[in-house]
Amino acid sequence: MLVIRGIIILHLVSFCLATETTRSVSMKTGNQLAVLEFEGWSISEPLTKFLTEEFRETIRELEIFQVQDQGLTNEISIFYPRTKNYWACWSEDCAIDLGKRLKVNYVIAGNIQKKDLNEFLISGRLFSIDMETLIDEFTMNSSGITDSLLLEMKKMAYNVSGLPVPDTLSVGTDTSEVATTGDIKLKRQWFKLPPIPTKIKALMMSTAIPGSGQIWVQRKYPGYGFLGTEATLGMAALISYYNYNKAWGGFEENYSSYQNGTDPHILEELRPKVIQYAQESRRYNSFMKSIRGVAASIWIVNMVHAYLVAPSDDYFDGEYFFDLEYNPNVNQLQFNFNF
Amino acid sequence: MLTSYNSILTFNKIKLFGLCLIVLAFSCEDADYDLDNPYDPTNMDLDPPALFFHPPEVSTSLGESISVEVYGLKLDSSAGAHFDIRYDWGSVTVDSVVPGPFFTGLNDPMEITVDEQGILDVFIYFLPDVNSDQSQSGTWSIATVYFSTISKGESELLFGPNTTLRDANNELVTINEYGSGYINVE
Repeated sequence: MLVIRGIIILHLVSFCLATETTRSVSMKTGNQLAVLEFEGWSISEPLTKFLTEEFRETIRELEIFQVQDQGLTNEISIFYPRTKNYWACWSEDCAIDLGKRLKVNYVIAGNIQKKDLNEFLISGRLFSIDMETLIDEFTMNSSGITDSLLLEMKKMAYNVSGLPVPDTLSVGTDTSEVATTGDIKLKRQWFKLPPIPTKIKALMMSTAIPGSGQIWVQRKYPGYGFLGTEATLGMAALISYYNYNKAWGGFEENYSSYQNGTDPHILEELRPKVIQYAQESRRYNSFMKSIRGVAASIWIVNMVHAYLVAPSDDYFDGEYFFDLEYNPNVNQLQFNFNF
Repeated sequence: MLTSYNSILTFNKIKLFGLCLIVLAFSCEDADYDLDNPYDPTNMDLDPPALFFHPPEVSTSLGESISVEVYGLKLDSSAGAHFDIRYDWGSVTVDSVVPGPFFTGLNDPMEITVDEQGILDVFIYFLPDVNSDQSQSGTWSIATVYFSTISKGESELLFGPNTTLRDANNELVTINEYGSGYINVE
């Protein structure tokens, strides 16, 4: 009997203690989201790209997620170049793998299928990278013209963000975009540093170390070429400097002795030495100057090259900073600068 | 251990690259010089082979002892020399004459001095050794003459017409020009 009582008391005590020591366990996770480019089935690639970007933009405007820029998301192709099928990242493993590489908390992958003449099926999956699981799956039907498809993408963006789809979106025109943003309380951000565009980053890297920007954007051969060329020139300059230094040391020593000397015999011996060391130091210095000129030119070419070969970001097209792009309408290379 | 070794290697590479960049970024100064030392034989405006006094000008005070070297500029090899040196014997007196390195081989040279009323005759002979029977060629000091000042004034040092150099075959050694010296006693 005592044993039974003891057991009951022990259970009661442990229960009480257990209730008191219970802590709420929650998993904190960030809100960074990467939208992979939707896969288009029976629809054109530019249209798929455009719709993906609209979808990405809408989610970004809703400010529930911090949406990674297109260029940064597509950088995954820089680090791990794959074929086009790469974007058909529909499985959990693939999406989580990509999410980890992109260092985001969520990944959206999707596809747009053309069912009939004017009927489209849009499917999307939201994966949590931190929890390594599929969180939600969305499917929407769209029938009609491209505007309708665009509208459906926007609706999906609301769904993904966990927000109610505003009525204005049901009207079915693209102008509803202005109205929708008004309905949502946006978080005000007083000061936000703009992200560094990939092109600028590559430019900065190549400015610091020639070829590093190219290597970073996976243009390894030109990158190593620039790096190797500059290193070779640097080594040549270093050898030249070593010889110069030697000649300069000889010159200074002999010239000082010549200036202070009084013995004609010694002065006669010093004179040709001074001339010889001076000529040598001039020759090596001249060689160094030539190398410097060549190296500086290659350095500048390397910087421009790094800028040109680096992939563009979506925000880079006129929203921030400057952009250097070819305009086919006027058949000219244009420099756009915008704040 | 391996990681730290790799870090050191990477650091060394970065250091080397940085050094190359620094060298690329800077250039050095060019050698700028003037070979204008007055004792440089090239600046003496003498036509070699020549004889001259070094230093060419000496300023001193009364009672002091001074030395003047008899110098040969780009002389050919010689076996003996006779220097006929003219000086102001009212102003300075000759104390001694010491042979210089021109006639010094393995043996010290033989030297005879005759000083008579402002005319100093110095005879110097190369003493042959197992290597050579005459001196080396070039620009060398042949002899050093020590003077003492006895009165204030200016005294000129000149080579007289009897000054000659001869080689081991007793042939005259060509001298194109003779320099002069100047002693100022204050």
